[in-house]
Amino acid sequence: MQRILYLIQKEFRQILREKTFIGLIFGAPFIQIVILGFAITTDVNHVPLAIVDYDQSQMSTRLSDAFSVTESFEFEGNLNSEQEAVQALDHGRIKMAIIIPDNFERDLKMGIHPVIQAVVDGVDGNSAGVAMAYLNQISIKLQKEWMQETGGLSARMRQVHLTAIEPRMQYNASLESVNNIVPGILATMIMLITAFLTGMSIVREREIGTLEQLMVTPIRNYELILGKVLPLIVVAFLLLNVGILAAGLIFGLWMKGNIFTLYFMSLLFALSTLGLGIFASTVARTQQQAMFIAYFFMIFAILLSGFFIPIENMPPFIQGITYLNPLRYFIVVIREIYLKGTEMGLLWKEGLAMGVFGLATFILSSLRFQKRLE
Amino acid sequence: MVTVEVENLTRTFGKFTAVDQVSFSVQKGEIFGFLGANGAGKTTTIRMLCGLLMPSSGTASVAGFDVYTQPENIKKNIGYMSQRFSLYEDLTVRENIRFYGGVYGLSRPQISSKTDELLEFLKLQDQADALTASIPMGWKQRLALSTAMLHDPPIIFLDEPTSGVDPVSRKNFWLLIYRLAEQGKTIFVTTHFMDEAEYCNRVSIMRDGAIIELEKPQTLKTKYNVNTMQDVFMQVVEKKSL
Repeated sequence: MQRILYLIQKEFRQILREKTFIGLIFGAPFIQIVILGFAITTDVNHVPLAIVDYDQSQMSTRLSDAFSVTESFEFEGNLNSEQEAVQALDHGRIKMAIIIPDNFERDLKMGIHPVIQAVVDGVDGNSAGVAMAYLNQISIKLQKEWMQETGGLSARMRQVHLTAIEPRMQYNASLESVNNIVPGILATMIMLITAFLTGMSIVREREIGTLEQLMVTPIRNYELILGKVLPLIVVAFLLLNVGILAAGLIFGLWMKGNIFTLYFMSLLFALSTLGLGIFASTVARTQQQAMFIAYFFMIFAILLSGFFIPIENMPPFIQGITYLNPLRYFIVVIREIYLKGTEMGLLWKEGLAMGVFGLATFILSSLRFQKRLE
Repeated sequence: MVTVEVENLTRTFGKFTAVDQVSFSVQKGEIFGFLGANGAGKTTTIRMLCGLLMPSSGTASVAGFDVYTQPENIKKNIGYMSQRFSLYEDLTVRENIRFYGGVYGLSRPQISSKTDELLEFLKLQDQADALTASIPMGWKQRLALSTAMLHDPPIIFLDEPTSGVDPVSRKNFWLLIYRLAEQGKTIFVTTHFMDEAEYCNRVSIMRDGAIIELEKPQTLKTKYNVNTMQDVFMQVVEKKSL
């Protein structure tokens, strides 16, 4: 026990002596949250749009107006034909064209369903999908407005009892992606700092030769590992708090849930990333190798976590793999705590999964870490 | 009294035999030199004796403890200093001593009295709070040896302790080794400086993983009819490789 304290004291001395390191701990969360929070956005705004209006009626003009007032679209003007619209898309002047057919108003009033065509630049599939959703929203809104005017239609509607769905987002009312991204950044930050620093700090001692010296002392394996890991847990904890503060100050995003629940869950999660770092240190001979090994696993962890890509969109096989990814659970947990204020009791499944993975990775990696040379 | 006993000790790495059936024993208070070209198997042998490396076959005991089954007991009874640097350059001299003292399980008062004692002994009082990186190499080497002995072990393993050190510092280092031997400590040292070999009580010369000669320096010089250990070494190595 005493030996662990001496190791911890030594680690902190080394950390505090490294000025860049302190800058990293306190500067990095701010920079990451500012840059990534603003840059990574799935919100789609100002999609350049043109309209081809073959009908030139009162209703078709109303439709054009509706598109030009919204923030989501940037109305670039009317075009004369479909060919012109396609050309504008080809040249990248617009990302979406709406084509209103001839007799739009007449058909609408007669109750024949007229079809509006939307031509979308699908190169950026995500944005295209979101733009389409906006388009649908606007046309549904217009339909409701017109129902009152078209007597025949409203009479029919009364018979059909069409269910109108009015979506209301409960926990992220404005559906702002920053609310989703920032907790995710906090999660990846914990992962980064624990996995990288653990691996590198052990391998650095191997490189300079002090690890060999420690190996001939009576220090025990577990003491050596705890002495390495505990200071980094403190560092990660500081970093998390700086991140929480940064998110609040910059985006006004304060967590709804209990901060101690988050601390506890973060610790469970960090067990597996610390384990990853220890594992990397047992395989790597140089700090670069350790970093690369940790990076290799982290990329998969992030991509398969549901941070950027919804897990439901993945093929079933890949979805199965994501259950082995501790970050998958932590992303859910940190979002729930941040946006919904979910209580610990409702997150026990995720907590359990992270705890089991964490202990397994941590213990297996520690067993691999031998006080002998190969 | 025998403190290190080695019998047919062998270590292979894949098909390569680094140490090939080596046998010897070292007496208490002896300065035992281990000579040989690079790659002759000196470091591998020393690492097996320190419990850093598992032997492939053979037996070895250090301070009465078996290298296979009691490496942790061995570690309590040895000091080890490798050719690689073993101090933390970003810690001060005092912090290094304190850290290793703590790791070797010394109590707080023991650590502070040891620190004062060592600083005085090495004449490092003025640099006690300077970063280790800033003190001269020769001093670092003696400091490294002293920290490796904070727990007062009866046996000391030195793996090329003086490589990269100027001649004056080398001489000072050997004076330190002599003092330790006088105190009854067993010194096991590898080197490829042949003048250092003259200072040893007995030397063994290794080549291709095997011990070719094991004698007192004087006996070897008489046997090969030369004046220096340098000439002995050249003759031994060349004769066998022809």
